[in-house]
Formats: sequence, C-alpha cells, structure tokens
Amino acid sequence: MASEHSHWPLLADAPADEDLSRCVHCGLCLTACPTYLVTGKEMDSPRGRIYLARSVAEGTLLTTPTVERHWDLCLQCRACETACPSGVPYGRIMEHVRAQVAEAPQSDPVVRRVRRLVLRHIVARPRVLAAAALLPRKLAGLLTRERVAKLKPKPLRRLAGQIPRGQGAPVRPGFELRPAGQERARVALLTGCIMGEVFGEVHRATARVLARRSIAVEAVEGQGCCGALHAHDGDLAYARKLAKKNIAAMESDRFAAVVVNSAGCGAAMKEYDDLLAADPKWAARAAAFSAKVRDFSEYVAELGGEVPSQLETRVTYQDACHLAHAQRITTQPRALLDAITGCQRIETAGADRCCGAAGLYSVNQPAMSGELRQRKAVEIAASGAQIVTTANPGCHMQYLAADAESHLDVEVLHLAELIDRAEAAAETSR
Amino acid sequence: MATRRDLIAALSQAVGNEAVIWRPEDVRAYEYDGTVETRLPHAVVLPETAEQVAAVVAACNLLQVPITPRGAGTGLSGGAVARKRGVVISTARMNRIIQIDPINRLAVVQPGVANLAVSLAAASSGLFYAPDPSSQKACTIGGNVAENAGGPHCLALGVTTNHVLAMEVVTADGTLVRLGSPTPDIGPGYDLRGAFIGSEGTLGIVTEVTLRLLPLPASIVTLLAVFDTIEQASESVSAIIGAGLVPAAIEMMDRVTLQAAEAGLQCGYPPDAGAVLLVEVDGIADIVEEQAGRIRAECLEHGAMEVRIAEDDEERERLWKGRKGAIGALGRIAPNYYILDGVVPRSRLVETMAVVERVSAAYNLPIANVFHAGDGNLHPCVLFDDREPGARQRVLEAGEAIMRACIDAGGTLSGEHGIGYEKQQFMGWLYSDEDMENMERLRPVFGNEGLFNPCKILPGGTGCGEMAHDAAAIRAAGQDAYV
Ligand SMILES: Cc1cc2nc3c(=O)[nH]c(=O)nc-3n(C[C@H](O)[C@H](O)[C@H](O)COP(=O)(O)OP(=O)(O)OC[C@H]3O[C@@H](n4cnc5c(N)ncnc54)[C@H](O)[C@@H]3O)c2cc1C
Ligand code: SF4
Ligand code: SF4
Repeated sequence: MASEHSHWPLLADAPADEDLSRCVHCGLCLTACPTYLVTGKEMDSPRGRIYLARSVAEGTLLTTPTVERHWDLCLQCRACETACPSGVPYGRIMEHVRAQVAEAPQSDPVVRRVRRLVLRHIVARPRVLAAAALLPRKLAGLLTRERVAKLKPKPLRRLAGQIPRGQGAPVRPGFELRPAGQERARVALLTGCIMGEVFGEVHRATARVLARRSIAVEAVEGQGCCGALHAHDGDLAYARKLAKKNIAAMESDRFAAVVVNSAGCGAAMKEYDDLLAADPKWAARAAAFSAKVRDFSEYVAELGGEVPSQLETRVTYQDACHLAHAQRITTQPRALLDAITGCQRIETAGADRCCGAAGLYSVNQPAMSGELRQRKAVEIAASGAQIVTTANPGCHMQYLAADAESHLDVEVLHLAELIDRAEAAAETSR
Repeated sequence: MATRRDLIAALSQAVGNEAVIWRPEDVRAYEYDGTVETRLPHAVVLPETAEQVAAVVAACNLLQVPITPRGAGTGLSGGAVARKRGVVISTARMNRIIQIDPINRLAVVQPGVANLAVSLAAASSGLFYAPDPSSQKACTIGGNVAENAGGPHCLALGVTTNHVLAMEVVTADGTLVRLGSPTPDIGPGYDLRGAFIGSEGTLGIVTEVTLRLLPLPASIVTLLAVFDTIEQASESVSAIIGAGLVPAAIEMMDRVTLQAAEAGLQCGYPPDAGAVLLVEVDGIADIVEEQAGRIRAECLEHGAMEVRIAEDDEERERLWKGRKGAIGALGRIAPNYYILDGVVPRSRLVETMAVVERVSAAYNLPIANVFHAGDGNLHPCVLFDDREPGARQRVLEAGEAIMRACIDAGGTLSGEHGIGYEKQQFMGWLYSDEDMENMERLRPVFGNEGLFNPCKILPGGTGCGEMAHDAAAIRAAGQDAYV
C-alpha cells in the first residue's frame, strides 16, 4: 500500500511502502551498482533511487525531470538485489516507479509515449514484429565478419555488428523437436518476441541439447511475448495481459516444465505470480505456472546425466543479469561449460556486472550503455577468451556490438549454441 | 554570508560544473548515511584529485561554509551527515588503487576505494588487507581511517590504525600534507598519523593512504558453535580466551539475528538456536588444527549443542556471508534499526547482555545482537519503525540505558563506529571537561576553526553553537535557503 500523503499519480500500481521501507540505507549495494560505479553519484545508486522514491511516497519530494533522470538511468539489472542483505525487492520497486513516471511524465513525454506504443504494437505483435525483423535478417545474410570489421565509422560498424549472424530461419510457435529414442518428458519452449525472429539457431540448439537428453520440445501456439520489457517500462497493465496469454497457452500438464533460454523472459515469467498476485482469478494459476518455469541451463543441470561433449577452446561466461541476479543462477551455466572436454573457462572480474544491454536500455541510454559495453570489452580482451558466451538475446547483441566496435575478435554464442556445438563434435568424433 | 549561487560558482571553479551537485532533489540523496539521522547539505562535490579537494576546502573556508567529508555513507554514527549543512565532499570518484607493492607488502590507494577491493587486488600477490568491517564490500578506506574501523578479524590482527602506514591529507584549512611514513616503523616526529586516524573527518580529508598488507594465511578453520543461550556462548568466549587461545575472530549472533540472516541469506545457520559463535583460526596447518580442536572442546564443555566445522571454502564463505550481512538483514524484520557500539571487558559480557535483555523488555523494543564477542564489542540493534510517532525517542532512551550499562561495567562508548552525531552527549560519562577541552585543542592544529565536520565527537565542540535548522524547515525553504 502507498501512504495517503504520497505524490504517486497512479496509486493502483504505486511502489509498496513495505518494499520501500525495507531499505535501511546501509549502503552495502553501492559497489554492486554499475551506474554508481560510473557516475559516483548517490542518486544513481540503488539506495539513492529508493530514497528518492521513498521521499515521493512520503510526500516530501515531487517527481521532477531530474528525479526521473536518475530513475531512467537505472539498468534494472538487479545486481543490488543480490548485494542487499535486507532483501529489498528492488526490481519490483523500480517497475512500479516506472509505472508512475509513465503515468505523469515530467520529462520526455513523447519519447515515453512512443516507446510504450512500440512495445505494445510492434514488440508484442508477432506478425508486425516478423515484418520488422525481416530487414535485419536479410542484412545478416550479407554481413560477414570480415565485412563488418571493415565498416566505418565506428557507430555504423557497431550497429551492423550487433545483428546476429548465422541464425538461420526464425523459430515460431508450432515448432517441435522430438528425441530420437524414447521421450522422457515434454517441455514447452518460449519462442519470445525478438528471440524467435533473429535467434532461430539458439532455439534449435536448445531443442537439440534437450533432445539428446530424451526431452521433447514444443513451442505451443497461442504463446507470445513474455511482457518483461513492458513491465520494466512500467506498463504493468499490458504485462499482465501478456502474462495471462502465456499462462493459458503453456500451463498444460503435458509439460514437465516451461523452458526459457532468454534470461530476461525467464525472470519475468518466474515472477508472473507476483505480477498477478492481486488478481483473484489468476493468482493461483500464475503461481503454479511460475513454479514450472526453468532457465535452459537450470533445466539441463536438473536433468543430470552425462552427454559427451568436446571443444578445444577458451571461453568466458558473462552472466546475464536477469539470470544471475533475478533468478540467482550462476553455478549451473559454469558447471555445464566445465563439463566440456577441452574447454578452458576463464572467469573475468566483472562477469556478473551488467553489459549495458538491459532490454531497451541501449536505445534509451546510449551513453551509459556504451560505457558499460566498453568496460566489458576491456575485460574480455584481457581474458584472452576466443568465445564469449551468455544466456540472453540483449546481452548477446551487446557482445556482438562490443566485438565489432573494439575489434575483440571473439565469437559470441548463446550457452545453448556452445553446448550443442560441443555435443555435436563429440558425436561425430566417436 | 554567501548565497547559494556564490557557493556553487566557487565549487564549480574548483572541480568543474559536472562534479557539483546542488539541485534540491539531488542533494536529498546525501542527507543520510547508515544511521537514522538526516540533514540536507547545500551542495555535494565529487573531486577526483587531492588538488581539487584542497581547492574545495579553500573555497568553503573563504565563504565560511561548513564541510563534511563522505565516503560510502555506510557509517553508523552519522559522521557523514552534514549536521550544519554546507558542502559534502564525496570521495566516490577517488577510487583508484594506485599501487600494490608485493615486495614491501603495501598498497597505495585513493580514499574512495572500497575496503574489500584492496584485498581482492592484493590476492594475486598472496596478500590481503586485514581490517574487515562487515560493510567491507562498500565502505571506503577513507571512511575506515576516519572511524578507525574494525572488523571480525581485528581480534588478532588489530584495527585500522595498526595497518595504515602513511597518508596524504588535506587539512581543515586546505593544506596538503603527509602524515606517517611508508616504512614498517612509524617515522620520527609526532605520530600525527595516529592522531588523525579515528578523528571522524573532523581534522581534514584523507586523499591517499598507504596500507600495510599481510600474507594470506596458509590454513583457515572456521567453526560454528550452536548454543541454547547467550550466556553459554558468552562463557565459551571467556573460556577460549582464558585458555590462551587467540582465534582470528570470535563473532556472536543471537536468535533474532540468526533468523533474519538465515531468512535473507540462506547461510546454513540453525534458526532455532539461542545463539551461535562463529570462530575462526588461521595460520600454519598443524597449529590451526590443534587450536580448532581445543576451541571445539571449550564450546562443548560450556554447553554447545553442536560445533560444526566448515568443510570447504564454499561453506566457510556461506557462514561469513551471513555474519557480514546480518545487520543489513535486520531490515527484513523491521524498517529501522538503531545500532549501538558499546564495549565491555570480556569478563562482563554475560551481565551486560542481561541488561540489554532487560532494556528490551522495559522499552518494549526488540533488540538483536550481533557482535565481535572476542573484543567485548557489542552491537545491540534496537529494532523499530520510524514512522511510528514517538518511536525514535524511545529508541534513543533505550540506547542511552544500554550505553550507560557499558560504561558502568568499565567499558566504553564505541568500539569502531565512532561517536559522530548522537553519542557525543555521552562523552561526559567518560571524560572530564579538562579531558575534552584538551582534545578540542587538536582541531585548530589541523586548521579546524569550526567549519570542518562541525558538531561531531565532542559535545558543544567548536562550531556547534547554534544548531542548524530543523530538516523540515530546510525542505520547506527549498532552493531559496541561504547558506
Ligand atoms: C551493515 C554494516 C556493517 C558494519 N560493520 C562494521 C564493522 O564490522 N566494523 C566497523 O568498524 N564498522 C562497521 N560499519 C560502519 C561503517 O561501515 C564504518 O564506519 C566505515 O568505516 C565507514 O566508511 P564509509 O566509507 O561508509 O564512511 P562514511 O559513512 O561516508 O563516513 C564516515 C566518517 O568518515 C568521514 N570520512 C569519510 N571519508 C573520509 C576521508 N576521505 N577523509 C576524512 N574523513 C572521511 C566522514 O566525514 C564520516 O565522519 C558497518 C556499517 C554497516 C552499514
Ligand atoms: S543494500 Fe539493501 S538495505 Fe542496504 S541500502 Fe542497498 S537496498 Fe537499502
Ligand atoms: S538495478 Fe542495477 S543499475 Fe539499477 S540500482 Fe540496482 S544495481 Fe543499480
């Protein structure tokens, strides 16, 4: 509940006072926050952002363009949640803060309006999105590594470089892959919005890895965008709508799990219970559904069993924030890589620090996003890795951009692609 | 008197526009630290070099504006709260590790470097920085120097002052000077380094620190002893020390703390225990094993239900994660806490804990206990909800009663958090007026004529004449307020 003095314009989706007051301003989250590390300003730290929100909630501060700027600069990476001993649900607070900003913006009203329309009418609409994705997919066919590397100026090279290459045809609802032998279980696969269109190969690799473990993978019809981007933008109403659609499509008992290979989508779907908690018709269904959602690496680790895999390479795993901090999954992906024969895994210092992709952040906040990307580039270059692997489409594209921008000369792969490649290599060598 | 406009112009001149924060909604984020006290500064600056710091101090002195240094703002005595408003100098952008010197075993760092970052950077040379406040992930070396910070592992190794060799500081009047010497011995002359450490940002701003590094211990054993009651745990502490054992750390947590920590951090604590001791021994493998065995025996003899030994680094880290996050984890059970920092002789631990329990009952306020038992350094955390009318007053009274008990037991007011903002009125319990006047004389030596972190440590000290306006009035005046 929000207090009666609060200055929030949209009370129904106001940050809960219980959430805000959980922050005891101990400051232990400061050094986990990428934006604080860059600007050094308390207002750009988790504690500062919460304090500003709390002041608005208590009616002692009005939301001004300046206040909005500090909230807008938040990556919603949730590294502060991992660091916070007090269990402050920062992600939830910020989504609700964004809902307030969107309701009565003090700055950039047009940009905010357009963003909301794009999210609702392009990203969340499969057919419109498919049409929009056509151009980058075509371009990807023309752009070889070598061609990208020669492009000038740098921003153009970066833009072209971040288009995923070698991803083949899209994977859309209706896709299915059965194991060669007996079917041990069947899982639902989220194809997602942009993921299905430009990361088809990641989905196919995911399905092949699971098929080798006798799991059938089915992307059921009726599913759609997970709504994560909408929620992060504060469009909780639309996020709820999309959540219901996905629950209805994938909750069937036929599925042992709902497997998601995009960390941001997985995190959002594991929190459908929270999103729909106040809706008596949906709360229980949402809770049951969220309990079934698994990240790809989490599910593969749960399945256990050893599938031979082999790849001579040096790889660095860079955590996706919404896997490491929102889902608290950090050991499984590393263990899967360590199980590959010949694969040397290099840990970098800032592996669980945000790369700056952060959903739409790279578009909304290009300067900060670029700064964080360049910091990653330095660490990756120093690691000597040949392959950068991660588990989220946004991060994937950010590392592609870093590669093109800073001539890193690394290959960027989704964890599923890397494992699939290593398992396929072991199969042929036998 | 200078106007806000003059002030901002002067500060911009010193550090550049971008590094001056002055909008009312922005400075709001600098009105607090880790305590419950708040005060809005007029402006905040983010210098990157010692020269910029000196320029800011000079400008403030010229305009007669109070100055308050700030590190990470994790302080627990209100030290970084700008009690008389004015300018906060934040070291957040002075966060470079300048040098790790494995041969001379020292590190040269800027003051805004986080404590833990030093040990992380030194680890590849097999070295570490010993003082380890529980806030070490975030708190800064500058803040540690100012508070003479301690930590769990300071039992055997000593606190900040034992590990700071030399410093560069900008004194309260804006002069850049060096204190101490980067050699193993304190250099010749007065030990002004020693006087500066623990001065809570009232003598000047540290702009560079040379720290002693120690070799990482060859072997570490961590034990978790589980008890029914705090008394049993306290008696075990006395027994361990009495037996001549010198563990690296002995930490105690009571039931309330254990439950909060376990709920938040899943560290494998027994949630229904009355108290646990977290004990660590380090050094040469054989000796460590032998000592751990004896500690285990002492605990069992004094009523431990179970003594668990961490099997691997992962379990060890998990046990420590709970301890280091314990205070923050209290946020799970109450929106606010007021943490005390009293010290008592180890032999008086049991009776002082009983007083704490009685105070808790008398004021009807839950109190969690998590502390450095080996040093007798208590941290009773009074839990409350600041939004409840009158709560804060009750909390302060309860705190006073506990502090009084510590002094009566022959102890002192602060082990490591400093006196800062609200404990200064208790200084008279410990020191005579002459004692305090004598301390007061140190301030002008460093050029503090009352503008530098005013109203801290000493009651009614220099510059603490009339109190700054009430926070609400300041907010109401907003941008039009004058310095
Ligand atoms: C959860 C938690 C656990 C804690 N555990 C411990 C513990 O185990 N041991 C312990 O000792 N403390 C502990 N503390 C208290 C606090 O972390 C320490 O006092 C720490 O040293 C403060 O550092 P800071 O950078 O946050 O300083 P701040 O809070 O920003 O400032 C503290 C004081 O230092 C002054 N100061 C800051 N930087 C400088 C500088 N460069 N030059 C001169 N003065 C400066 C300020 O003016 C102020 O008076 C804990 C705090 C929290 C929130
Ligand atoms: S760590 Fe948690 S409680 Fe502490 S300041 Fe950050 S968000 Fe608040
Ligand atoms: S979500 Fe990330 S960017 Fe935002 S406050 Fe937390 S750590 Fe900082």
